[in-house]
Amino acid sequence: MTRAVGIDLGTTNSEVAIVENGQARVLPGEDGDLILPSCVGFSETGKLLVGREALRQYEAAPERTVKSIKRWMGTDHKTLLGDREYLPHEISAIILRSLKQRAETALAESIAQAVITVPAYFTDAQRQATKTAGEIAGFEVLQIINEPTAAAIAYDLRSEETERVLVYDLGGGTFDVSVVEITGEVTEVLASHGNNRLGGDDFDRRLQLHLKELFRKQHGMDVPDDPVTNARLLRTAEQAKIDLSTHAFTTVREAFLGSKGKTALHLEAEIARTDFENLIHPLLDETLEAIDRALSDATLQPDDLDRIILVGGSTRIPLIQHMIESHLGQAPTDGIQPDLCVALGASLQAGVLVGEAVDAILVDVVPHSLGIAAAMSTPMGIVPGFFSVVVPRNSVIPVSRSEVYSTLFDSQETVEIEVFQGENPIAEENVPLGSFKVEDLPSQPAGSVQVEVHFDFDLNGILTVTATEKGKGQQGSLIVSNTGVHRLSSHEISQARADLEALFEQDEAIESSASDSPIVTLSPELSVLVDRARTLADSLDDEQADELQDLLDQIEAVAEGNSDEDLEVLQSELEDFLYYASREN
Amino acid sequence: MTSPHDRLGISPDAAPAEVKTAYHAKLREFPAHTHPEEFKAVRAAYDAIRKGETAKDDDFLNVRPLEVTLDPDSLKQLREKALAQIDISLDELIRETF
Ligand SMILES: Nc1ncnc2c1ncn2[C@@H]1O[C@H](COP(=O)(O)OP(=O)(O)OP(=O)(O)O)[C@@H](O)[C@H]1O
Ligand SMILES: [Mg+2]
Repeated sequence: MTRAVGIDLGTTNSEVAIVENGQARVLPGEDGDLILPSCVGFSETGKLLVGREALRQYEAAPERTVKSIKRWMGTDHKTLLGDREYLPHEISAIILRSLKQRAETALAESIAQAVITVPAYFTDAQRQATKTAGEIAGFEVLQIINEPTAAAIAYDLRSEETERVLVYDLGGGTFDVSVVEITGEVTEVLASHGNNRLGGDDFDRRLQLHLKELFRKQHGMDVPDDPVTNARLLRTAEQAKIDLSTHAFTTVREAFLGSKGKTALHLEAEIARTDFENLIHPLLDETLEAIDRALSDATLQPDDLDRIILVGGSTRIPLIQHMIESHLGQAPTDGIQPDLCVALGASLQAGVLVGEAVDAILVDVVPHSLGIAAAMSTPMGIVPGFFSVVVPRNSVIPVSRSEVYSTLFDSQETVEIEVFQGENPIAEENVPLGSFKVEDLPSQPAGSVQVEVHFDFDLNGILTVTATEKGKGQQGSLIVSNTGVHRLSSHEISQARADLEALFEQDEAIESSASDSPIVTLSPELSVLVDRARTLADSLDDEQADELQDLLDQIEAVAEGNSDEDLEVLQSELEDFLYYASREN
Repeated sequence: MTSPHDRLGISPDAAPAEVKTAYHAKLREFPAHTHPEEFKAVRAAYDAIRKGETAKDDDFLNVRPLEVTLDPDSLKQLREKALAQIDISLDELIRETF
């Protein structure tokens, strides 16, 4: 039996897990780390970096590094990295390929199949892009499942009593809430709601703006608006945010953010947890509204919930826990692994699909309503462009539904079926999924020709719409997944896969040639320090300038392989030097 | 035609708890990924019983009414949209005349 992995492809962090003897576990990388940061970059020498290594250079080289690509999935947003532009699913494919390698190394066997998770509220295009990324990475994607649902499967209730559980998942980039009913091994989703663009990244950005504002107040000028400074402030903001989850105050200290004449300017500020809470409160209110909608879609009251599960790194923020508790009148359950449970659940589902001894039955729903544009008779006369829902949101998938529509005009020869996804009563305000025509309708008075429109939505999120004229049997149909921008032909996928393989192989070549050579490359942090020191040199007095030059020479000697002094020692000397030099100025 | 109760293998007066147990047993028998058609039928039967409906396999024969009660909000939105369009064309008209 071939084994299949489960993958949580997160905005900030990704994990890969496997089921062994009915037990799920997350597979570590060679460094022992269970989490792979969802970050991709190229080193100065053009070496591909994935995960922690890429994240480490983000501050120093934001133009060669990309993170949070998941936010762009399903769009044709291009990211320039080194000498090439990448589409979002191509970057995701690099992350997935790296997780595949991690799994294969950890298990010492090749792995070809995977279940990959997406936010429950992801649209059709975003799901397709994720599937395509998996295929480019060399996987057969067995199923795309929803993150909160995966978390619920991993949550082992072991009770035959039915429990109603609310899963609140707030990660780096997305927010989902699902109301789930668990009875023994059956996990049934009753309703899902969410926001694909709300998460820890937004908190970081708000805090970053706040830091800029503090700098402006301190120095009467703006922080320079360049990519490196922005990247530094974003990292500082994220760190401060994380500190504030366990401390009531934190101190932010960033040297050399700018300069005024010859004086270097720093940011030094104390941030209170309450300051941060005020910044994010409005965003959190939205999540409470989403909870209410999910509950009302499931026709449940807050008291009907037996349990609340928090998933995602951002739920470590104390304010979130308090707001949920006071909104629902119940404290969230402890003992959930908020970072790992999604990958664990995905691996359990993968186990089910390949026939491992895993008892898990999953019943999930479609998050958005699906339907067509139709005319309706109103007090203002017949008005076209209404959204007529065929498959209501939160219908269990797979699902097939039909509706019958009639012609609008006398002797109408064609009808155009325009398919949309969304909740707005005005068709055009929803996401268009495609359209097609049924032609040669029999010539008859308005309203007397009937067309049956059939929607078929399968487990993989592939929607097939068929329209049939009921008299003569004229037909038209549309397979929505084939019209999406990111549905590549199998030829295109194998081409992309070959390109990706080449990228990984080229990377090995660079790595081995690098290890042959005595030349040491500077760490990204050290490179930043050296750059900063060079810009500062002009503003120093002679004695200091000499001292600095001496330090830089020593570092250069190590880098060129002409000295074996400890780089870390030199780096901390340089840090100290820069800190004191800037204080004096 | 099979009734929803037949489909789940229970008597028409089965209690809700029995319905759920039977539904779960059918889910085990017909997983969605291997038996999608049976799964859909089981689910439809379960939905129908819970809604207290009788089997309406010929449901699709009912033509979707062209007359629907419109909620005032959507009507307002539509009207605003129409007005916005008129606004734009007026604006353009003015620009073109000058
Ligand atoms: N202690 C903490 N306090 C506040 N935020 C935290 C803490 N630890 C991690 N985070 C934030 O959690 C986010 C990452 O969470 P997680 O790994 O669950 O997200 P993800 O799965 O990558 O994203 P998504 O599910 O949205 O695609 C980041 O924004 C990170 O800054
Ligand atoms: Mg996540």
